Amino acid sequence: MSHVKAALRLWDYRELLSTLVWKEIVVRYKQAYLGIAWTVLKPVMLMLVFTLMRSFIGIDSGSIPYPVLTFTALIPWVFFQEGVALGVNSIVLNAGLVKKIYFPREVFPLVSVLTKMVEFCVDFAVLLGLMAWYGLSLTTQAAWLPLLLAYLVLTTLAVNLAGAALNVFYRDVSQFLPVAISLVMYASPIIYPLSLVKRVLLVSQAAGVHSDLLYFLYTLNPLVGIVDAFQSVLLRNQPPDFSVIWPGALFVAMLLPASYEYFKRAEHSFADVI
Amino acid sequence: MTAIEVVAMTKEFQLGQIVTLKQSVSNVLRTVTGRTPEKPERFKALDNIDFSVQSGEVVGIIGSNGAGKSTLLKILSGITAPSAGAVRVRGRVAPLIEVGAGLHHELTGRENIYLNASILGVPRRKIEKLVDPILEFSEIRPFEDTPVKKYSSGMKVRLGFAIATNIEADILIVDEVLAVGDIAFQRKCFDKMEDLILNQKKTVLLVSHNIRQVQRICTRVLLFEYGKIVADGPTQEVCQTFFEQSDRIIYDRASPVWGDFESSDGFELLSLSMTTPDGQPLRRVHANEPVEIRILYRNGNPLVRPKFGIGVHTSDFLYLTTYDSRDEIWIDEVGPGEHEAVCRISRIPFTPGIYSLRLGVSGGGVEKRIFYGENLLNFQVQGDERHRNVSGSEGLVLLDATWRQLA
Repeated sequence: MSHVKAALRLWDYRELLSTLVWKEIVVRYKQAYLGIAWTVLKPVMLMLVFTLMRSFIGIDSGSIPYPVLTFTALIPWVFFQEGVALGVNSIVLNAGLVKKIYFPREVFPLVSVLTKMVEFCVDFAVLLGLMAWYGLSLTTQAAWLPLLLAYLVLTTLAVNLAGAALNVFYRDVSQFLPVAISLVMYASPIIYPLSLVKRVLLVSQAAGVHSDLLYFLYTLNPLVGIVDAFQSVLLRNQPPDFSVIWPGALFVAMLLPASYEYFKRAEHSFADVI
Repeated sequence: MTAIEVVAMTKEFQLGQIVTLKQSVSNVLRTVTGRTPEKPERFKALDNIDFSVQSGEVVGIIGSNGAGKSTLLKILSGITAPSAGAVRVRGRVAPLIEVGAGLHHELTGRENIYLNASILGVPRRKIEKLVDPILEFSEIRPFEDTPVKKYSSGMKVRLGFAIATNIEADILIVDEVLAVGDIAFQRKCFDKMEDLILNQKKTVLLVSHNIRQVQRICTRVLLFEYGKIVADGPTQEVCQTFFEQSDRIIYDRASPVWGDFESSDGFELLSLSMTTPDGQPLRRVHANEPVEIRILYRNGNPLVRPKFGIGVHTSDFLYLTTYDSRDEIWIDEVGPGEHEAVCRISRIPFTPGIYSLRLGVSGGGVEKRIFYGENLLNFQVQGDERHRNVSGSEGLVLLDATWRQLA
């Protein structure tokens, strides 16, 4: 319970949070000529590569143009991946502050995730342009977006917090996690749509008796539900499919408290070992 | 009201690097083979500390390097947690542990004020009011919109000091920071500290190696030694204890083994000693008292026209004086055997502290060096409190002088 209190106390640090987020963003783009344009580069490049790849593999994207579908999937994915990569290093990178001054240390991983909001917004604007190009437009279902984003933030934090704390003791974590995370991309419906997985596992039962179990394990990855929900509410004019979301959400609901608990325990020795 | 309360507090550190895979594997092997696994060594930086500070008190913390002073400040500012015991701190703490630690190099001076003040927990509305006084005090107004990476080190430190002292914290924790900037700014820092202490009645903890600074600012002093509080009381009393203690440490460390020397022609230094004029051996000398330096040597070959020279240097090899036997010892040849030469000093003209002797011997038809060595004998000069030489700033040489007031 004490950690719930600790989490609530973060509200007192909201000004510090916003100042640090602002600092991160200003610092990142201050001496970069292209500035904020860099944020779009990654999802756009990936989208182009996937689109090129698809031209000779052949992935069925249904009625929605493939570039839009994959770009929509890439927005939450890039947010998650970079939020984790940044967050895991956040304590170590701020060693100077950690050793000199006290405030709740979870501020650092939290700031890493919140900083990614800016990129999220820019990417979203690009998506709107892309949709307009293909003659698509937003529907009222887009109102789900803030809720989905909040879930995405919590998912990222669940990995972030424990990762950042572990990385203080063992720098191996910052080497290992990004590699592991990049593998998760293939286990998420980003290059291919979720409908493909459903067709293979649920409809044609490709893995025999284990098909349903496999599908459950697949949806345990919270990114599966998130990516599918993004595509539903933005492109398909449908509400999120909760039958896909719940296993992942359950997983996050268990992982996040454990991750935070570990972080708060490790917090006291950060300044000693960093 | 009690501002800081520390009860039975201990802080341990693990020595050495963090456990690696290699060590884990070897420990598993050791456990399997029935040997005791290697445990990391632990080190007590602070050992069962008890004290409390009332609000408005100005407490100095002194002690030699590694006594646990900085660890204590880190615990009090919440940066690290104690291993055992309890610490209670009431009010907002502004730590000045290394001024300017929180400055970010890519941000401008003004932006850094916002960043640092909000890190120290000041609400946004208040920060806006603080920006001008801070820019004013730190004298960086013309550079407020320049990134801090382009600042000189003095400017950074000034900015850091100005932020920490202007945010109206209840407890100020200061670690060796008053020696910042040039003389004029140091003066300003001092005035600011005195204002905080005398007019605003802030609680201040000051860690410093500069005892004079502590003597000037603090009313009470805690003396730390190997993680324990060995003295706690009025400033003058504790500072005196500290001086005696640190002199003793240096004196004890001064090894009886001779330092570096070279010798040739079968010359051997048997002993170099310091005595009173009537031959009592000495290693503590009172300032302005007479002493004799006795050089006992053995020469294998005949020594032709020997010449001796002694000198005094400080522990950091600043040569203070040299005196040789030219025109005073005039012997054509000293036959093989043991001999002794004595140099009488009618008055030791040094301020209290630790000094060391060097010795040179030369001789021969065409004069050449036979023996030379430095750091051969450490000795302590003791003196009245008025002669005390605080960190070398009072000079090293005592004048034979008196004062008079005319009319």
